[in-house]
Amino acid sequence: MGLIEKRRIAVTGIGLVTPVGNDAPSTWEALQAGKSGAAQITNFDASGFSTTIGAEVKDFDFENAGPCKKLLKGASRSHSFALAAAAEALEDAGIAPTDEDSHRWGLAVGAGMMSVAYDDLKVVHDYATDDDGNFQPDGLMDPDFPANPINFCRWQSNSGLSILTKAFGIRGYATSVHTACASGGQAIGSALKALRRGQCDKVLAGGFDSMLNPIGISGFCLLGALSTDNDNPTGASRPFDKTRNGFVLGEGAGFLVLEDWDAAKARGAKIYAELGGDGNSLSCYRITDSPPDGNGPIQAIEQALRDAGITANDVDYINAHGTSTQMNDRSECAAMNAIFGHRIDEVSVSSTKSSMGHLIAAAGAVEAAVCCLAIRDSIAPVNANYQNPDPVCDVNLVTGEAKSVKIRAALSNSLGFGGSNSSLVFLNPSDLNPKEVAS
Amino acid sequence: MKNAPEKIVFTGSGLVCGSGSNVEDVWNALVSGQTSIGPYNWERGRVRAYDWNGENWPVKIASEVTEDNRTLVPDRKLHKTISRKDMLGIYASEKAIEDSGVLAHRDGLDEEVQDAYSDRTGLIVGSGGGNYQDNYDYLPLITEAKGELPGFGRELSNVVTPMWLLKNLPNNVLCHVGIRGQLKGTNACITNQCSSSVMAVAESASAIWNGEADRIVAAGHDAALEPEHILYYHKLGLMSSEVPKPFDANRSGTIFGEGAGAVVLEREGDAVARGAKVLGEFLGFGCCCEATGAMDLQPDGDGVTRAIEQALDDAELSPADVGMICAHGNGTTASDLTEGLGIHAVFGDDIPPVTGFKWAYGHLIGAAGIVDLVMTLEALKRGVVPGIPNLENVEDQIAPFPVQKEAALPRSDVALVICRGFGGMNVVLAVRGPST
Repeated sequence: MGLIEKRRIAVTGIGLVTPVGNDAPSTWEALQAGKSGAAQITNFDASGFSTTIGAEVKDFDFENAGPCKKLLKGASRSHSFALAAAAEALEDAGIAPTDEDSHRWGLAVGAGMMSVAYDDLKVVHDYATDDDGNFQPDGLMDPDFPANPINFCRWQSNSGLSILTKAFGIRGYATSVHTACASGGQAIGSALKALRRGQCDKVLAGGFDSMLNPIGISGFCLLGALSTDNDNPTGASRPFDKTRNGFVLGEGAGFLVLEDWDAAKARGAKIYAELGGDGNSLSCYRITDSPPDGNGPIQAIEQALRDAGITANDVDYINAHGTSTQMNDRSECAAMNAIFGHRIDEVSVSSTKSSMGHLIAAAGAVEAAVCCLAIRDSIAPVNANYQNPDPVCDVNLVTGEAKSVKIRAALSNSLGFGGSNSSLVFLNPSDLNPKEVAS
Repeated sequence: MKNAPEKIVFTGSGLVCGSGSNVEDVWNALVSGQTSIGPYNWERGRVRAYDWNGENWPVKIASEVTEDNRTLVPDRKLHKTISRKDMLGIYASEKAIEDSGVLAHRDGLDEEVQDAYSDRTGLIVGSGGGNYQDNYDYLPLITEAKGELPGFGRELSNVVTPMWLLKNLPNNVLCHVGIRGQLKGTNACITNQCSSSVMAVAESASAIWNGEADRIVAAGHDAALEPEHILYYHKLGLMSSEVPKPFDANRSGTIFGEGAGAVVLEREGDAVARGAKVLGEFLGFGCCCEATGAMDLQPDGDGVTRAIEQALDDAELSPADVGMICAHGNGTTASDLTEGLGIHAVFGDDIPPVTGFKWAYGHLIGAAGIVDLVMTLEALKRGVVPGIPNLENVEDQIAPFPVQKEAALPRSDVALVICRGFGGMNVVLAVRGPST
């Protein structure tokens, strides 16, 4: 349609909790160095699983996550990451909802998979199963069964949204999406639309997840989606390498503060980037696989570029989904080649999952933040662990070490289980902004 | 919608709930005062067989979908790979698609433009998330492993189906409806508890507004009728032991139903050009949060008030333009009271007829708002606001309040649909009925 001039949106705050750092500066430093966050799993005894490695958040201060200790009682592991990352993003932006404007603040989250904690399931098992482990509900009526309402609330599909809106006093638009690995990117896209429509003036947008628990990892082990390089955790995630054999499960959270461009300028905010455009598509191919020809991801990237009002010629960096599975990386490279054609050699590409592992519902949000930091510092982070070229992954990877490169526009891809593809475009806030150049 | 270059209309709808699996049957139940809430057949919703009749359970009634899944979606292969709640969502979505004729229209186009049409056709699904019983597949494994984790890991693939994750993805309806219909455009799976399905409708309109799709199927589905879920709601004091009585002084809680609903949204010009029947117009929406945590509500209904005001502002309407309200009215003490107060704050003494449908098909949780929307469009089409047949005395603290036992006349062709959920969520849709 394009009949309305689109309101411009600025990214003014970033907060991260990742396997390579518990805030944005330390994460960004580790990603530039290609440091790996993967190791043997310590969250629980994983010794019997086919995969024993993961990228865990380390030395995280659970006692002091977020602004309100009382809320932590109802918070899961991933909610605690979310509280810390969101608090950092708001502090970084130098603003927070007040009594006067809290109704104009929104929240958009890509929420982690709602799997139940193993310990909670174990309690159900101990009270309510027969000798073969079959469910016998009457056991739940035992007066000693701990049917704790706080536990119940913790596992509702929007419990993260509840905790975050209460913690920060956000009273406007609020949405929670879970489209597997595309969740974080889609949440930021939803925020973009809410801002453009004028439904709110500022949005805290991001994602959080932690599936590094017995139930979470089981689903992926059963599907054979995880790398089983248990003897080589730091080298296991090697996106686009010919020998890649599955992803490394990570955990964490990432949040951005998004606000009206003019308002951000007027208050003298530091602007990391302009959130230029959002594109989504559904591959409609298979639940777990991406089509080898990139049909699906292609449409998401095209839509994001169109939505941002730029072309493939303006993009200098792509933070790829790059999970390190055979099919994803192949499909994504086919899509990038289809979009960028002969320019593919001029666009720097890296998957920071090579360092952080796959943060599932948080991945898109964390990687969006990485694009903003890349634009600010004119640095493309490294695609770590890359050694063996794969002819079906013929893109211009940043290998060996991070690369210094002026970035006019950066693209962040998130391609989810089930075929949901999300692409976001971030534009340089300086005179390198392709839209400014064009006008 | 404010600043929308063109009107956005509804051109198809589909639903399934305890009261029926088509709009006509559910409408007849609503206007004849028939509830589908009754003793629950626990066998039906069961994912894994267990020998149990629920006679000791604190809540024994619900509104259940009585049609067999295999009748609703006759695809044997699919039944092996996904769960009942997803089947309901697939059924409603495909009914709405069929009703709108959007895919039939695509298939009649020249082959070279069909792909582009699919790329511009979106799908946004509101999902209840996961059920507790999804995880019961792991209970025999815990027994096998004698409660020890290393054994749990070792025996995993011998005890649990390799397809477990795929069976239980919260975004399964999105995946399968997408693949079956080749809906390749913009999409999302919204997991916002009771607000999920209305948010799917709102985000669909937003995406069309933003120009990223030409038409979108919005759906919502849930099936919360499982012992553990109902037990927790009961412990929180939210469940009744009788048919819910929205806004009644003696209301005692809610009752669950299972179901799904879907609508197709597109630009009016496109609908007219292909000669589609128009069910109504999407005028605007409001969405706001009370920042009160999972369960608590602002005592004055502030969130309801603001969401209605936002929706009216988005629709560029004044309160006097509203012809009827389909309220959330879940029958719990706090929610109905604050909803009534919130409506009063916007409309003063001039409130249009208010109704709510949870007495008929229960609280559909993740599917609640969208089924209400489908029935509200039908109410506007017929010019009848169905009554709440089991209403006795209106809650004192909100009286006078225009809910009644008998049907009423809407005072215009505009309706508000209110949906509330955990997390202090309030979502309000403003819609216009079809022109007659």
